Amino acid sequence: MISDKFKSVICKELDLDPADIEVNDETKANEVPGWDSLNHVNVILAIEKEYNLRFKSLEVLKCKNIGDLQKLVDSKLG
Amino acid sequence: MFNFDLQKILQIFEYNQGDPLLFGTSSFLITFFFLLVIYRLLSKYKNPRILFLIFFSLFFYYKAAGIYFLLLIFSAISNFYFGKWMAYYKKQTPRRLILLSSLILNLGLLGYFKYTNFFIKIVTDLSAGSFDPVDIFLPIGISFYTFKSLSYVLDIYFEAMEPTKSFRDFSLFVFFFPNILAGPIDRASQFLPQLEEEFFISKADIGRALLLIIAGLIKKNMIADYISLNFVDRVLGDPLRFTGTENLFAVYGYALQIYCDFSGYSDIAIGIGLLLGFKLMDNFNSPYQATSIADFWRRWHISLSSWLLDYLFRPLQMKFRNLRNYGNAIALLITFLLCGLWHGASWSFVLWGALHGFYMSFALLFQKPKNKFYKKIGLFNTKLLRVGQVFITFHLIVFTWIFFKVSDFDKAFNILDQIFNFFKPEVVPQFIESFTPTFVLIVFGYVLHFLPRSLELKTADQLSKLPFVIQALVLALVIWVVAQVQSADLQPFIYFQF
Repeated sequence: MISDKFKSVICKELDLDPADIEVNDETKANEVPGWDSLNHVNVILAIEKEYNLRFKSLEVLKCKNIGDLQKLVDSKLG
Repeated sequence: MFNFDLQKILQIFEYNQGDPLLFGTSSFLITFFFLLVIYRLLSKYKNPRILFLIFFSLFFYYKAAGIYFLLLIFSAISNFYFGKWMAYYKKQTPRRLILLSSLILNLGLLGYFKYTNFFIKIVTDLSAGSFDPVDIFLPIGISFYTFKSLSYVLDIYFEAMEPTKSFRDFSLFVFFFPNILAGPIDRASQFLPQLEEEFFISKADIGRALLLIIAGLIKKNMIADYISLNFVDRVLGDPLRFTGTENLFAVYGYALQIYCDFSGYSDIAIGIGLLLGFKLMDNFNSPYQATSIADFWRRWHISLSSWLLDYLFRPLQMKFRNLRNYGNAIALLITFLLCGLWHGASWSFVLWGALHGFYMSFALLFQKPKNKFYKKIGLFNTKLLRVGQVFITFHLIVFTWIFFKVSDFDKAFNILDQIFNFFKPEVVPQFIESFTPTFVLIVFGYVLHFLPRSLELKTADQLSKLPFVIQALVLALVIWVVAQVQSADLQPFIYFQF
């Protein structure tokens, strides 16, 4: 389940209005407007900063969709 | 009475160096026809059908590389077990060790066969010694199947897929003859699930396969071969003998030739795959319609660019992420330098890759001010801007192809010098007159390239609706037309050398 906070971090970084964007566990990064392979790094850094945590590279590379990324954040906070 | 020449028939089964079963040759077309008949007869019996395809694929590779087909078998066995062992371990350390072993083995073999002389030359140049090249046979397609097999181990490492339990299925993935010599570099995660399904080819698949094979034959055997043999090679082989006009047309011609040659081969490979009931990755999508270099790489050799994106760029990007866009730029430069080196063991390929890396990094770092500028002058998101971007992107790419084509830097600079300092517009009518078929084929090729994709889909749809006999006649007619235009000797596919 994608939290509102998580969604707002992504939208803020990509300059999107959360009301316009539908994001669920299965959504892939490239389905979100502006989240391309180059911008990916900025989204990851924004999430790390917001939640004050640090991912290992492999942990991020293993994520197949936004749901996996949310679970990764939850496990780090957990 | 029939006059069988047994010797000639037996020759089909023998390895002759430099005489592989190239798509588009009559020997391949005849062999493929018999393969298809037997394959269809076996269609209901899964095990014999797959085993038949495995043995034919090995035979196809044997015809191309001789005894080195054993290397292919070794690659399949080792990577199958690397995948299996990796999945057995849950902890990171053994998984990393297995990945490292797989990388050392796969890239070590690729390095030995492809780059030994290149590195020996660097060392001898640095030590001012004399360079004696080592006689090493380069097994055809090694870069393609090494990357294809590696993607399987890497996907298991990144937990993007489970390893297959069937060595038979994995062997077919590695050996599959349509893409073994020059791609597409397929992914096991997309190929292996297709083996779980029953054999089925829809009418739409047949229509698409037919269109792809026809397009491939026209691109490779008609356009690419003709313009290379009759024009491009002559001019770029000795640029100082021609004016800037011919040099410029030759460079445009080469851009078309390399596209037609490589995408033509991919089209035939994908078409043949479809007729055997397999969907291979798309490899090209009108690359010269790209509006930026990044867009070009989403359209050119897609199976390689997505491989490099997933397994090289993304890990590097994560490593350098604290540097944000500068980290991206460094990751892009490294990725494209290695992309250049993947294409061949020479400095000109490295320079070609470096130019693409530089273009991409430059565009990335200046993206914001560039968009601001377009908005300020009212061009942002306009059709005019898109046309301009296509024009500029095309010329930036054409510039890099010069270094890709000629391995000697002096020659590359001679071509540029002729174009910029010895351009004679008055030669254009004379050029069109003396190279009329070449000029017509170049124009035809580019017009075909810039046609909308919807037209391609419509044609495939129309072809799929034709009765089988008419479909066969259409194919036969295209083969006949291509044979008429085809140059005396079939040129090898440019991409085989990689």
